Amino acid sequence: MKKLVFALAFAFLALSGHQLFAQEPELSPERKQAIDSLALEKVRDLSKYVKLIGSKNTPWSEANRVIDRAEELFAPDAEIGVSSLAKTKVEYYKVRKYLERLMRLNYDRVEIDWYKIQYVSDLQRQPDGTYVGVITVFQTFKGYDAEGRLVYQDTTKKDITVYVKRKETQIGGRLIGFWDVMLGDMRVKETTHK
Amino acid sequence: MIKHLKSIIIIAMVALVTICGATSCKSSGKLSKKEYKAKVEQATRDLNAILNNQTEWTLEEQQARVDEIKQVDFSKKNPEIMEMIERAEAKIAREMAERDRLAEEQRLAEERRLRELEEQNKPKTELTDYFNMIANAKDVNTANKHIKDALQLFESPDAVVLILLNNYGDYDRPTTAVNYLNYLKDQKKVTVKVNNIKYNENNKITELELIKK
Repeated sequence: MKKLVFALAFAFLALSGHQLFAQEPELSPERKQAIDSLALEKVRDLSKYVKLIGSKNTPWSEANRVIDRAEELFAPDAEIGVSSLAKTKVEYYKVRKYLERLMRLNYDRVEIDWYKIQYVSDLQRQPDGTYVGVITVFQTFKGYDAEGRLVYQDTTKKDITVYVKRKETQIGGRLIGFWDVMLGDMRVKETTHK
Repeated sequence: MIKHLKSIIIIAMVALVTICGATSCKSSGKLSKKEYKAKVEQATRDLNAILNNQTEWTLEEQQARVDEIKQVDFSKKNPEIMEMIERAEAKIAREMAERDRLAEEQRLAEERRLRELEEQNKPKTELTDYFNMIANAKDVNTANKHIKDALQLFESPDAVVLILLNNYGDYDRPTTAVNYLNYLKDQKKVTVKVNNIKYNENNKITELELIKK
């Protein structure tokens, strides 16, 4: 009996030990802080891209280049929600389609600003090693007509899921470990008059 | 008798004028044998000097002398002079072309020397200067011009750019020189400093490693 208990205990320890060593060690607070900041920075980068794409002053070729850069921030199937004060339903578009619609908005001047960009759910490590979190942003949108009159404005709170995964690539014969930040769906939480 | 004498004098004068006139015509239009011989000797001497590089004349002076020699028709009595003229003209043309080629080469070398001197004396724009110039450009066109200039420092627009997040070997997703410079233009901020640069044999950047400030 003693032998059986010992064998079971050994097997349990061996299995749990295997699991322990199969996973990457926990990140130190400094390293965790670095990837927290990186993910937040990607959302801030997106805010600049959205502003540039929406602006009627951005040359067409530049806007298209920026659309490419912005699209690269997202996971392949990510969707972005679009709300309006006139509609109760939130429409969801694939990232590219959303950005192209944004470029062609039917206003003479568009102002888009994002603020209060912060985590609502910190990056948490998932069993597969990916870190997942949610960042919230507030977006003010203002559309003007040819006479410069403000014809539409709203403020939208949006939640963006962020995924951060450790990847490796060979560069110049060296193995480089990098953190790949991917933005997931951007969900509309609420839309209000400003 | 006196009357006859007058007639004889008049006839003699007319004959003299006629003979003299004819002689003078002969000396201006056609060479005397003696003159022709002297011309042949002089032409032969000059052409030999030209062909054997025994003259101090410039190429233009040599060509002028050959043109002068060609004024006399040597083709019937002295075809060898015609052949020498032909050779002399070919030699002069060849030497003129070579002289012009050397002069052009010299001009280009001098231009290159001056350009290099100017380049050396010009204060060098460092990569980080370009980063700030691009991020703070007053408009897209100015930023694009700085990007174009900055890309001259790289081996190619696709040269690798790595961004270190900390000193623990954590990197951001690798990017390229052209994309990173455009990123600075779009984001209008520089949040990195240069950590390491790799160059090729032409002193162009092949790999740039930046680190977050």
